[in-house]
Amino acid sequence: MAPTQASIQLPSSSSTRNSGAASTVEVSSVCKAYGDFVAVDDLSLAIKPGSIYGLLGPNGAGKTSTLRMIIGIIVPDSGHITVFGEPLKPAHKDRFGYLPEERGLYKKMKVLEHLLFLGQLKGLSGAEALKRARSWCERFDLSAWTDKKVEELSKGMQQKVQFIGAVLHDPELIVMDEPFSGLDPASTVVLKNVLLELAKSGKAILLSTHGMDQAERLCHSICLVNHGHVVLQGDLAQIKAGYGSCNVQIKYDGDARFLQESRLVQSFNDYGNYVEVRLAPGADTQELLRLASAGARLSKFEVMEPSLEEIFIAAVSKPAESKPNA
Amino acid sequence: MRNFWVIVKREYLQRVRTRSFLILTLLVPGIMTVVMTLPAKLATMGKKAEHVVVVTSTPQFGEMVRQHFLSALTATDDDDESSPEANAAKPKPEDEYVIDVDSNATEAERAALRDKVTSQAIDGYLWLTDDAIASGKVTWTSRNMGGFGESSRLSAALNRVIQYERLSKNGLTTEKADELLKPVKVEAIRIERGREAKGSGGGKFLEVFIMVMLLYMAVLLYGISVMRSVLEEKTSRILEVLLSSATSTELMAGKLLGVGAVGLTQILVWVVIAGVFALPAMAMQPTLSEFQIPLGVLIAFAIFFLLGYLLYSTMYATIGAITTTEQEGQQLQFFIVIPLVLSVFMLAPVVRTPDAPAIVWLSMVPFFAPVLMYARIVVQTPPLWQIALSVVLLVGTIAGLLVLCARIYRVGILIYGKRPNLPEILKWLKYAKA
Repeated sequence: MAPTQASIQLPSSSSTRNSGAASTVEVSSVCKAYGDFVAVDDLSLAIKPGSIYGLLGPNGAGKTSTLRMIIGIIVPDSGHITVFGEPLKPAHKDRFGYLPEERGLYKKMKVLEHLLFLGQLKGLSGAEALKRARSWCERFDLSAWTDKKVEELSKGMQQKVQFIGAVLHDPELIVMDEPFSGLDPASTVVLKNVLLELAKSGKAILLSTHGMDQAERLCHSICLVNHGHVVLQGDLAQIKAGYGSCNVQIKYDGDARFLQESRLVQSFNDYGNYVEVRLAPGADTQELLRLASAGARLSKFEVMEPSLEEIFIAAVSKPAESKPNA
Repeated sequence: MRNFWVIVKREYLQRVRTRSFLILTLLVPGIMTVVMTLPAKLATMGKKAEHVVVVTSTPQFGEMVRQHFLSALTATDDDDESSPEANAAKPKPEDEYVIDVDSNATEAERAALRDKVTSQAIDGYLWLTDDAIASGKVTWTSRNMGGFGESSRLSAALNRVIQYERLSKNGLTTEKADELLKPVKVEAIRIERGREAKGSGGGKFLEVFIMVMLLYMAVLLYGISVMRSVLEEKTSRILEVLLSSATSTELMAGKLLGVGAVGLTQILVWVVIAGVFALPAMAMQPTLSEFQIPLGVLIAFAIFFLLGYLLYSTMYATIGAITTTEQEGQQLQFFIVIPLVLSVFMLAPVVRTPDAPAIVWLSMVPFFAPVLMYARIVVQTPPLWQIALSVVLLVGTIAGLLVLCARIYRVGILIYGKRPNLPEILKWLKYAKA
């Protein structure tokens, strides 16, 4: 994973993202309710060209509703959405690509025909759509399947076809709902590389996921939502810096009494192989190391950046002080 | 507009290229041919000539009866002028019936004949002695009730023979008898745009009925197909992808036209097949070629068939948009079939009194117009403004329903698992306004 991690850092320092270019998407104070159920409450976000924006949160947090509002499938009850600097209108549809959460393909259609159809709906000529579909299929290892019906493909392969359908027309904005679900590890890597490449070429990418580590590796900016509310949002690097290095992973053998030291340890999470300790505010890691090594044999002691998951859990439990960058 | 045609193309090609389309297209004419010819084939298959004995007091009278029967059997149903060639295809009456004349009118012979009937040596005998004729009571004895003795044509022929016989006994010449017995036939003449036109009510009814059957078949076959495909898109979430590329009205209109074109293609193939087979038959039967349909009626047929088809398909699409499963959809299908069935029930009164005020207004109602207005045009051309008004109302209803349906379709994506009630649908329509 190390080389890919390095390549992720590249776009974040690239000029396109930090140049202050106009946002591809701007959502301001959007609300959406279905009857009594409030799906999205006062959500705002902006996505710059050349960046990958992650919309994170548990199931039912309002991620899909937000994505659907951005591409105009549903209309917000209040608030504004501008795309490419203008209020959303049907003519914009050719400029974005959408990957829905569940597979949305005609089962009886052949793969290549289906891609042709999706491409033509976005304004590509038949010949151009066919050419691009062939080259994408090659990239995703689907060349042998182009004449098969969609229903004959595995779920993961269908997901790849769906992805190709979303990017075939080279859209400026790519909106993906859970793009990695159902993919095997190899395909996940291919997809991730494609997304990074697209971002590097200046596309704005918005993806939703409930897999925190996926987002952590891929996204430049994130928005954490829970029960329709924004819990935390902004530049991922800044968020992490804001939370500080206050976690320690410890692998030990022996006396575990040091974990009960409330002056140093605010909480801990035992993962079996190791314990992850959240330090109390103002605690010194050196003191913890001394205390731990006094009673137990340590095989690992690592000061960690907080994981997104922990940040999320911390933010949800303390919503009052949650928006460092909002 | 671009998306509309892309969708029309997909819907059309995906359906026309399926194996089931090909099979159905070729199978229906085959089945129709079998259904139409099989009963006649079955009736003639393995059938022996019916052996009949006519018992009269004199051989001369017996021979006369025989000749009359045979010529009565040769004549077609109600058309005495038809040329003999037209009946070439029919079996000759000599092959169908063997008629023996027996002038031995004794009780012993009667008993012998009865035994012959029982032993199946003959099929029946007609007791036509002078005494029987004088008493006005002629008997036909056979094993079963059908066949020879039941034929109304034969009893008519028999009556004529006996009338001739009675008249000639009273001293009249054959010519005089012919003159007295000349039958009178009523011919129906209808005033159509100031001109006289022949043709019976039955023919008109047939023209309307063909249209109704075609419409009914097209609606049932392809309306359900529209509903199913709307449901498929909803449940498989293709709708989400499509909506990110096209508007729901484009989707709905494209689907209706695409599926509609499939149905029309199929009907066109059937019409061509029917034409290829029917033309030689029509050429052989001069009476059938008189069954001509005026051009105006053909145009009306095309317009009202298309509009009716679109209207009912749109209703099916709406049902698809409201429901979540095919079973639910089939329950609601009731609301579509009812107006069609009602139209069929109203056909008879419409053909009888096409300009009764109630019928005039009913034929304007879009749900009945395809059948009733067309029926009125066939029977008696209604004023042009009435036709125009019904067409305008139909087109308006289709457009309105399409927009309504597209909205429900778009909002319906959010609701799964349960059929919405009316207030909910109204709320959806409000959502989708923007």
